[in-house]
Amino acid sequence: MSNSDAAILAAQASGCAPAGAPRFVGRSQPFWSLVSRGAVLLMLTLGIYRFWLTTDIRRYLWSSTEVADESFEYTGTPRELLLGFLIAIAVLVPLYSTFFLLTLMLGEIWSALALLVLTFLGQYAVFRARRYRLTRTVYRGIRFHQTGSALRYSVCAVLWWSLVVLSLGLAYPFAQSQLEHFKMRHTFFGNLPGRFQGSGWRLLVRGLPLWAIAVVPFTIGATATVLAVDWNALGSAGAAEDKLETSGLAGAVVFAALTGAWLLLSIALLYPIFQAIVLRWWVSGLRFGEVSLRSRLRIAQVFKIYARFFGYAVVFTLIAAALVASMALGLPKISGEPDSMRSELITTAFGLGAYVAIALGYSTIYQGTVKLGLWRCVIESLDVSNVEALEQVAAAGGPASPVGEGLADALNVGGL
Amino acid sequence: MSAVEPSDSTISGRGIFYDGATSARHDVVVEVAPHTLRVLGGNGAVLAQWPYDQLEPLSAPDNVLRLGRSGSAVLARLEIVDPQLAAVIDERSIPIDRTGRTERRLRTRVILWTLAATASLILVGVIGVPLIASELTPLIPYALERKLGAAVDSQIRLNLDARRSGAAFECGSAEKEQPGRAAFDKLMQQMQSAAGLPLPLTATVVRKQDANAITLPGGHIYVFQGLIKQARTPDELAGVIAHEVGHVAHRDGTRTIMQGAGLSLLFGLVLGDFVGGGAVVLAAKTLLRTRYSREVEAAADAYGVNLMARIGGDQRALAAILSRIAGSTHGGPKILSDHPETRDRVAAIERMASGPPSRPLLDEAQWSALKSICADQ
Repeated sequence: MSNSDAAILAAQASGCAPAGAPRFVGRSQPFWSLVSRGAVLLMLTLGIYRFWLTTDIRRYLWSSTEVADESFEYTGTPRELLLGFLIAIAVLVPLYSTFFLLTLMLGEIWSALALLVLTFLGQYAVFRARRYRLTRTVYRGIRFHQTGSALRYSVCAVLWWSLVVLSLGLAYPFAQSQLEHFKMRHTFFGNLPGRFQGSGWRLLVRGLPLWAIAVVPFTIGATATVLAVDWNALGSAGAAEDKLETSGLAGAVVFAALTGAWLLLSIALLYPIFQAIVLRWWVSGLRFGEVSLRSRLRIAQVFKIYARFFGYAVVFTLIAAALVASMALGLPKISGEPDSMRSELITTAFGLGAYVAIALGYSTIYQGTVKLGLWRCVIESLDVSNVEALEQVAAAGGPASPVGEGLADALNVGGL
Repeated sequence: MSAVEPSDSTISGRGIFYDGATSARHDVVVEVAPHTLRVLGGNGAVLAQWPYDQLEPLSAPDNVLRLGRSGSAVLARLEIVDPQLAAVIDERSIPIDRTGRTERRLRTRVILWTLAATASLILVGVIGVPLIASELTPLIPYALERKLGAAVDSQIRLNLDARRSGAAFECGSAEKEQPGRAAFDKLMQQMQSAAGLPLPLTATVVRKQDANAITLPGGHIYVFQGLIKQARTPDELAGVIAHEVGHVAHRDGTRTIMQGAGLSLLFGLVLGDFVGGGAVVLAAKTLLRTRYSREVEAAADAYGVNLMARIGGDQRALAAILSRIAGSTHGGPKILSDHPETRDRVAAIERMASGPPSRPLLDEAQWSALKSICADQ
């Protein structure tokens, strides 16, 4: 019996997906050691190591993802990311300085303008960064690429996101669908054009209950808070604290606390549901020529991922708290007499180090559980139909510059 | 599926080839020829011939050796699953390194370089940025400094005036505070004319209970009500204000803003916002600013002593009120305070002071009026 026969038998025995279906072949352990080593180096290099870590993570995720028995390949390099970042800095430093001086000399209106320009620039960077990532994605010796004007995308995106805010989130499905339409219309795998077939209305229908649970009570609560305060009474009361009772502030505080608690609870419980719905809708709308994707992602799977994250985070918190407490007890021994300059320096350095280490710890746990878990679940719940169409694609498009990634990094709008 | 060895001693085996022009999959025979790696199609046609030193290992799943040709614009890919064949190719080709030793060595070098870069950036932050800020500050026109001052002023006022009570936050505007205002103005008048600064001083007494005074760019000085309460003589109050005038003369506020902007740019933008990075930037800024501020405060003390000598006031009064205020307050950690160890400052002031006061800065009546400049509560 040959190896391939054995493989087929094994697949049948375990009831796995048929040959050719999307698979995630990566093991978790290498990924965990990748991100935890990266976290230590990020801390030591104050973040400069991120270009290397990002590339390592992408290489791992791409090459662990198989469609039709062939894995993807990420061809980007850390050097490109570093270069893109340096170019972005060269663009942004003069821009920031100019706005700083203009605000100083001509007034506050310029700082509002600066914010607007940076918002546009952020969306511009998002689109350009996507172009970089796509052209560094190779499958079967053919690269993906993206056309289209990043400037146009940034204008559309800023308008849509303003609409989302103004409509208290109701416009979100339409914003997502329109922006995704724009992105996919300009996306190609070789000469195979991509498109997006998700409908904003469908996402709205699926998401409406969530919106009703999260946003409506919040809006009512916020309104009640505002109405409970007799603003005239509060204004005339000034700072005399005994009059606060009469201005209805106590009632407002109760409303505000209830609203805040509800919001926090609903975010914690509803966010995984929301993410599952959006991911499933998004993946199911993706098309390349005749190739179409459908996602079977279930809400329970996403919940399980977050439950794991939560469990790991609790364990990590307990360990970190015990470590910090025991080290804090031992600290006076090495820091010398209390109140001295040296002891303050050591205490400050210790506090900072502990803070950064704990923050990076949570981020590492998030990467190892949520990021990896979601990627795996999305891939393994994927159905690809007409996969044969992927066999006759001709090469097209060239590599794009990494400046978009650099800008996105410098402006903190980066994605993966 | 094992490497076979034909009669002409060329090792060969099976592989998958994508030619980079189309996505069609070719099941191929891979020949490890003496000088090149030959890729043969089903009909025996040579699909590719790659010299061993041009083979490029590419990221792939663990059990797959994926090769490309380095420097080639065409993304042709050869994939080998057979471990024996992969091992033979690995042995022939220098760029391929399946044990990952070269990769690890490269990565160690990268890590060492990034650590060096981090150290160098910290040095720039600690030494370079203050130096550049000090060099640039004298070049800023006073007209620009006053605009900067106005912008900072409106911001600081919002922060200071916690109750948002507007005009009443300032002392000396109500009817019964007018005599106090006149006395304060007289004191400031003496300072202004003796100091001979290129920009006018704008001094304001505000209803704030801390025993403190602050100076902003553009000659704005805020004297807190708490300081006037603590002062036992007009000279003590004048001593503190003279110290603040020193900050105006040395343009310390402007330099601090330049330093802050430089540090934000350096640590905030260049280093990026990794998790917890924001907190590190904030802490670094505070610590570095404290470091610079020790010399800056000492210089302002020296200026203050000198100015007090010129207007004929008590040059030691600043030392007196300083040690009293420091003794009465227990603030946060010393390392975060803006003022160097009070003991050293007091000693330095005592050393610099040259003679006794030649005349009272304010008479009894003016001083008691000034004491109640914030009378209208």
